[in-house]
Amino acid sequence: MLWLSENILFASLLFTVLSGVIALGGRALVFHKLSQILLVVSGILGLSASFKIFLAPERGLQILVEFAEFSPVFQLDLFGAIFFSLISFVSILCAIYARPYVRSYQETYHVPSLNALVAAFVLGMQIVILSHSTLAFMTGWEVMSIASFFLVLSDRSQSAIRAALLYLVMTHLGAAALLAAFLLLSQGSLFIDFSTLASMAWIAPSWLLWTCFGLFFFGFGSKAGIAPFHVWLPEAHPAAPSHISAFMSGVMLKVAIYGFLRVLLFILPPIGTGASLVVLGVGLLTALYGVLYAVVDRDFKRTLAFSSIENIGLIFAMIGMAFFAADRGLDGLYQTAIVAAVFFTIAHALFKTGLFLVSGVVVRAVHTRNIEMMGGLAKRLPGLSISFCVLALAAASLPPFGPFFGEWIFFQGLLQSFSTTSPLVSAVLIFTFALLALVGGLAIFAMVKLFALSMLAEPRGKEVHELPASGELLSIGVCAVAVLVLGIYAPTVLTLIGGVSLTASPVELAVGSATIQPSLILWLLIGCVFLVWVGRRLVSRVEHEREYHGWDCGQPINASMEYTATAFSAPIRFFFRLILRTKKQIETRPVAATNPWIVSHTSTLNLRSIWMDYGYIPAGRFLLGTAQHVKRIQSGNVRFYLLLIFVTLILTLWIAL
Amino acid sequence: MITILMLIIQVILVLLIAPFVTGLIRWFKARLQGRQGASPLLMYFALLTTLKKEHVISASRSWMFRFVPFMVLGVAVFLALSLPLVFSDGGIAHVDLFVLAGVLALSSVFLVFGGLDAATAFGGMGASREMTLAALIEPAVLTTFAAFATVAGSASVQSLFGQGMTALTHPALLLSFSALILITLAENARYPVDNPATHLELTMVHEAMVLEYSGPYLAMLEYASSIKLTVFLLVLGNLVWIKPEMYLDAPTIGLGVLGVLVSVCVGSFVLALLESSMAKMRFFRMQEYMSIAFFLALSGLILILVV
Repeated sequence: MLWLSENILFASLLFTVLSGVIALGGRALVFHKLSQILLVVSGILGLSASFKIFLAPERGLQILVEFAEFSPVFQLDLFGAIFFSLISFVSILCAIYARPYVRSYQETYHVPSLNALVAAFVLGMQIVILSHSTLAFMTGWEVMSIASFFLVLSDRSQSAIRAALLYLVMTHLGAAALLAAFLLLSQGSLFIDFSTLASMAWIAPSWLLWTCFGLFFFGFGSKAGIAPFHVWLPEAHPAAPSHISAFMSGVMLKVAIYGFLRVLLFILPPIGTGASLVVLGVGLLTALYGVLYAVVDRDFKRTLAFSSIENIGLIFAMIGMAFFAADRGLDGLYQTAIVAAVFFTIAHALFKTGLFLVSGVVVRAVHTRNIEMMGGLAKRLPGLSISFCVLALAAASLPPFGPFFGEWIFFQGLLQSFSTTSPLVSAVLIFTFALLALVGGLAIFAMVKLFALSMLAEPRGKEVHELPASGELLSIGVCAVAVLVLGIYAPTVLTLIGGVSLTASPVELAVGSATIQPSLILWLLIGCVFLVWVGRRLVSRVEHEREYHGWDCGQPINASMEYTATAFSAPIRFFFRLILRTKKQIETRPVAATNPWIVSHTSTLNLRSIWMDYGYIPAGRFLLGTAQHVKRIQSGNVRFYLLLIFVTLILTLWIAL
Repeated sequence: MITILMLIIQVILVLLIAPFVTGLIRWFKARLQGRQGASPLLMYFALLTTLKKEHVISASRSWMFRFVPFMVLGVAVFLALSLPLVFSDGGIAHVDLFVLAGVLALSSVFLVFGGLDAATAFGGMGASREMTLAALIEPAVLTTFAAFATVAGSASVQSLFGQGMTALTHPALLLSFSALILITLAENARYPVDNPATHLELTMVHEAMVLEYSGPYLAMLEYASSIKLTVFLLVLGNLVWIKPEMYLDAPTIGLGVLGVLVSVCVGSFVLALLESSMAKMRFFRMQEYMSIAFFLALSGLILILVV
């Protein structure tokens, strides 16, 4: 039986490779179709292998054991299986989605290379999850990074190339940090497996651990999109094709979280209060920053990207809180927070994949990513809008969807640990609680803006160009159903992923003394709405109705009078102006020279990125300035260059010896 | 069995008196401002009349427009059902403060959807304001509830707002109680956050969102806001005096009903007094109001942990 599961796992990898190879067959659509089918097969095999682990977590699956010198290189344990199942699930959905989606962009993208790169990307992520040695891990990591770099620039536009280059720089700084950390920890051995690495880490001096922790935090954090290393994220996600954005946001960020947790839980000894407070603080900062920009941004996919930053911040805050609690002896909170982080990660993978898939359909329908030009889609695409509504409500962490219960677990854990003995600990808990409540409120705002302004009311822009195909609607619908199922069956999911201690019965979640029954909340809500429906039938029998245009002080009304995304988020922009620093300029130009009252106004509103304006751009300018000074020694004199080379050689030898 | 019976009594009672509460506040307000005032029972007639009127539906609406009244009234019924309003151990034990906060936000979100779907400038303006208020009140709501939960030792709404706990159980709860009053005003679109009596675009929040609704849908939305207000007044009342534990005999039920009536009468009077004695705040000063609510709640919570 075990033998079969291991073969299934291996077959999953094999089918991913096959999918990439077939894709390169040619530009004919049959290769595109075959490639997606193979990816679906790979995903189904991957899911079944993961479920084998969920049901019998005692024994991991090992593959390629015959390569004894690398053993145990590739194995899947319970923790890896959680993330492996996410990759498999999302790749099934994206493959189903991509079949019609990519076909409608045949002219824009080079389809064979796109599909081959997707397969390489998926394979890279699968290898990262499976590998238990530095070399394999870093190989998978690089395959994933480089494939996603090429995927970001797949439409070959100027802006996409800029975004991709920024992404390449950030991701390679991160990869370099990871490699450095692994090498420092293993004292230079690249072929070391994680269990040996862990035993070496336990006896390492504390300064080394601190350095390694910092490098790991930067490496995984920059990949996950932690502020201030998130700048690539709002550029790269919108530039990529939508199913790639779904992959990147839905799974790639999760792979970074997987790596961070793998290192913290299985390799490094417990990090101290200081380090955990850093993770917590940076997580909270990222969450607040991400959500504010998600509220004010006007680009559909950038809003989603900022919302991803917010969610990643939330997950890092949960992780930081967990280790803080562990260090302070609050074991209950430690377990609760880790499980909450993993559960919320699963939920985020589902709803963010769905939302990015929605974004592809919406952007193709209106030919713009600008929310100001959208609207009125719910009338034309009712099925899509219902799924989108569910996904948006889930992303806003409202009951009774999956993410709500992830936050519920964490908040309950915090609430019950408030009255700890140390006032300092209580202060940290309360601060986290209050700040996350604010972030939660603003996240609702961001999601309402995204859904309501793109779907409801009258269309602000042109007509709907292309309706979604059934494959696309199916993927999106599955995501919407999945977040609901994740909510109702949260106890079952927790049991599968090893969080049994947080369930009271097969249908109840429990944190400490508090219990909740997710299905009861859902049925109560449905019951109340049904009751209202019945009541309305009984009491009022008004059937006839009249259609008339909306009332706007008696004047004829058109779509240009509707609220736009900019107007909708204006109060938040005003209240948080000290953080957002939006630049608003109104230019007044006289139209007639004779009459000073006849003027035309132009208003521009610039959303600035404080990290770019106060961090990256000055740093870049400083670097370029320094380079100008360095240029002085480049006199063009060959003998001087020879001297420089000689001095470098001497210095290198001196340092090396 | 007795629990279900008591729940039914509670829901029916709250749903019955809800329009009366809205009417009563208007009557008290008129009296305090030196006007004769319409009968407190007027709201029943108004709702019944609206129920019989014809729908006039905006040509711009989508499916959402029709779904909103059901969802909003559904959530209001959910509140009337799940909180301990008539008896101290009434309500549904499984609902806790996070569900309560989430459900309140859910009702705001759908109102906002309805406001935006009408495709008018008024609807959008009200929606934008309502969403801002709902987003910024969230930390105050959770922190206030957390303070009550810390004192009660449990997060279930039964122990928060029933079971013998009042605002005097712990001195710091007075701060949380004040925060809860501010939250009540903000959640129910009352002074100084919103003016429930005007249709002037400068001041309105809630009314702007429901402007395009007519006929039975309007009645449902108005009824929902009456229920929500009644529920909040009863919750505040619960924190001032203790309700009887549920028991199936006439005196207990009578005592419960009496408690409800006293709660809403006193609550309405205080609310009318507040509204007659203060001005509405400018919308762009709302962050001050929200900050006050939040810091009141936060200091309450900190005091509980320190004392």
